[in-house]
Amino acid sequence: MALRTNFESKNEIGVFAKLTNAYCLASIGGSEIFYSTFESELAENIPVVHASLAGCRIIGRLCVGNKNGLLVPSSTFDQELQHLRNALPDSVKVQRVEERLSALGNVVACNDYVALAHPDLDRETEEIIADTLGVEVFKLTIAGNVLVGSYCVLNNRGALVHPNTSIVDQEELSSLLQVPLVAGTVNCGSSVLGAGLVVNDWIAFTGMDTTATEVAVIESVFRLNEAEPSRITQEMRASLIEGMS
Amino acid sequence: MTSSYVPDVRIMAKQDRARLQSVFSQELSQIFDQTVRPVLEDGNSLENEANETRLNKLLEGRSESWSCSFCQVTFSDVQQQREHYRLDWHRYNLKQSLQSRPRIKEEDFNKKTENDDVSSISGSEEEEEDSLDTIASAQGKIFLKNQQGLVFSLYRGIFLFDKKEEVSSLDFFKCYKENCCVNKQWTIIMLGGGHFAGAIFNDSTPILHKTFHCYTVRAGQGGSQSAIDGKSGGSHPKSAGASLRRYNEQALVDHVRNILLTWNADIEKSSLIFYRASGPYNRGVLFGGKEPLLNKSDRRLRTVPFSTGRATFTEVKRVHFLLTTVKIYESLNQAASTVSNQRSSENNSPKRNKTRTNCINRAKSREIVQRPLPGEISLSEEEDEEKIELNNDVLEVSFDDLKEFGDSLTAEQRKIGRNKKKPRKSKNQKLKEREEERKRHLIDVTIKGNIILLEELFQKRLKTFEEGCLTRQELCKEFFNELLDEQGNSFLHLAALNEHEDLLKYLLDNEADPCLKNKNLQTPYSCSASKVSRDVFKQFAKENSEKYNYNKAQIPINALTDEELAEKKRAQKKIKKEKEKEKKRENHIKQKEREQIDRFLHLSDREKRALAAERRILNSQGKVVSRCFLCGSDMAGKVPFEYLENRFCTIDCLKSHRLKTSLNI
Repeated sequence: MALRTNFESKNEIGVFAKLTNAYCLASIGGSEIFYSTFESELAENIPVVHASLAGCRIIGRLCVGNKNGLLVPSSTFDQELQHLRNALPDSVKVQRVEERLSALGNVVACNDYVALAHPDLDRETEEIIADTLGVEVFKLTIAGNVLVGSYCVLNNRGALVHPNTSIVDQEELSSLLQVPLVAGTVNCGSSVLGAGLVVNDWIAFTGMDTTATEVAVIESVFRLNEAEPSRITQEMRASLIEGMS
Repeated sequence: MTSSYVPDVRIMAKQDRARLQSVFSQELSQIFDQTVRPVLEDGNSLENEANETRLNKLLEGRSESWSCSFCQVTFSDVQQQREHYRLDWHRYNLKQSLQSRPRIKEEDFNKKTENDDVSSISGSEEEEEDSLDTIASAQGKIFLKNQQGLVFSLYRGIFLFDKKEEVSSLDFFKCYKENCCVNKQWTIIMLGGGHFAGAIFNDSTPILHKTFHCYTVRAGQGGSQSAIDGKSGGSHPKSAGASLRRYNEQALVDHVRNILLTWNADIEKSSLIFYRASGPYNRGVLFGGKEPLLNKSDRRLRTVPFSTGRATFTEVKRVHFLLTTVKIYESLNQAASTVSNQRSSENNSPKRNKTRTNCINRAKSREIVQRPLPGEISLSEEEDEEKIELNNDVLEVSFDDLKEFGDSLTAEQRKIGRNKKKPRKSKNQKLKEREEERKRHLIDVTIKGNIILLEELFQKRLKTFEEGCLTRQELCKEFFNELLDEQGNSFLHLAALNEHEDLLKYLLDNEADPCLKNKNLQTPYSCSASKVSRDVFKQFAKENSEKYNYNKAQIPINALTDEELAEKKRAQKKIKKEKEKEKKRENHIKQKEREQIDRFLHLSDREKRALAAERRILNSQGKVVSRCFLCGSDMAGKVPFEYLENRFCTIDCLKSHRLKTSLNI
């Protein structure tokens, strides 16, 4: 399922929210609508947390995380860090990172197994990412852009990359990530995917301007409509019958 | 502007270790071949090549997806690919591709890292080419490279019409042939400060030249007379000098026009026209008027790309010489090195270049500044080895005996030292193990709450220490206040945690200290699990109020005795009872009130009125309000009889009154 939402009538919801399989961070805003959108969809399964980082609302671009952990920039206040530690499940390690490229969300894109990183990222940071998030880190560019976190969004089932990515690069990336991969846009043609889209393994939120086609692409590449009843009859039928006989 | 410094070319050439050649020379025409390309665009041209190969691959439809497009290698499986992405080689090529430079092969990379001439991944190698670029653009020059690898530097003006023109789209060879081989005739015109100098050169000899000077610039303040006139509006200065200058300005324009018109045929023939005319006035001389001397859109027209001195014939010759001089370097590296030397002497040129691009391209990776680490100590290899050995030594010995700096010891001495320490260490360890065993046993006993076993253990301990001069109390203190586990829990903690009240009592009686805190800073009282065990502590505190600081033990000591407690309870009960009584009374009153209301509601209107009247009377406290209309007797409390608003006490009064006063209807 992919839902459209906005933050104070801005479409860049990926800037103001962070969504993973184990938690969701929503930035503190003027109105609660943004937060409640996430809460109504997710609160049954994962904690939805109000957060700010270094006093900023752009939490989605400042931090990076998956179900194993969360990395925040060194400018994060102690109080904010404590709040995150309290609010997130114990299995999620929250850690500060001393890194020159402090907008971690822009320079790192990751799912629960793989992370793509900016070519200039420190080796120490790379190690911290590998340890805390439990991922393999690959340094590369996406369509010549170094900000891989901005131009690529991935979950454990699929990935969406910058529309200018060549076919060869797409094949290479998809073999590296071991997930199917599609070049696409969000928010009616924006190539800054990281800003327009947050996604985990069962739900995606996109900006209000996202077109139906874009939503369809997102749902299919991230495999978000697998929970439909028709799927059960079609795909699981064989194994179910086998199991019952 | 006129006095700007221009270094002597000959000295420059010596510094550069480069060959100087005229553009018109035979030698240059030999080396300047069709393959000549600008050096600065080198990276780009190669990048295109890479794109082509990529495209080809795509068209071939190769399904091999385990590849790295940055390094252009393919792999047989995912694992290889993933490993490749962690190599320094890959990182280096990634950087190269970001700076649009060609990738390098693995062998080359290995060679580079062996020679250590690259600070491998940071890609700091870009320096020289960057500096070449900046120097070139700052000097208005261009660096060209031919097939043999020779590099020439010459002024852009020879090839390019203006600054904005693209370098890549140009056929350098054709330009060179046209401007320097077929037609070697160049015109140079310089104009400024009332001076005019013009010459037409064929090859390197001037065929026509003319120089003159008019008094147009005001000696005191500077600036041309026309500029001053323009500023002061209608009232022109009327001094003799002013009018003289005004006249001379006009004369200069006419004169220049005359000269250039006579040269017109030769100017038309020349392949390039360089001019220098600074300021609107000077430019107006050349390009202004109804019939401009020179056409601004003429493709042959160029400005002189460097600063010049006063317009004289020697200056014109110097300019021509500089423009026609080509520097030839043996290789690109040589060019880069000489240029970087030059750069250090001309510090401002790259700076200027920097200010020109004031917007940052965030999509490109930034250059990494390599700063030295603070306090970096360079150790020789031998020292390093020594250190490692020493560290091993320290690790093996369980306790430190200040041997860390035993550099002076020989290997044998060290060995002896090691041997000595071994048995001691093992003994230590055994003791430790035994101690741990004992503690574990004690913990077990306490958790189970077995007082008898604990007593036994204690007695055993007591026996072993009987010879000592310690009293039983002191021994108790020592034994029962031992910290048992890693959390720093004592006997009391464990007993309190496991709710063994009897054991607690026993421990407290045997000098166990309730003030001890474990690592969570909890006293036994605060970590006790049930009220019963807390009561044990409270009881103990009450009975031995002086023994410990119960504040520290976090046990509330102001607890009351049983009798006091009972009394308190009784008092509380009493208060409660009274409260209940009060409530009952209130309820009673309320009920009564309700009954009255009910009764009142059931009354007929007449009765209600009567009641109201009665109340009114009562309220007036004895004052008679209504009297019988006839007899005047008090009617309070009675229901009056009335007719025509007259009230009477009895029916008799009423009757008599009616009879007395007949109705006049």
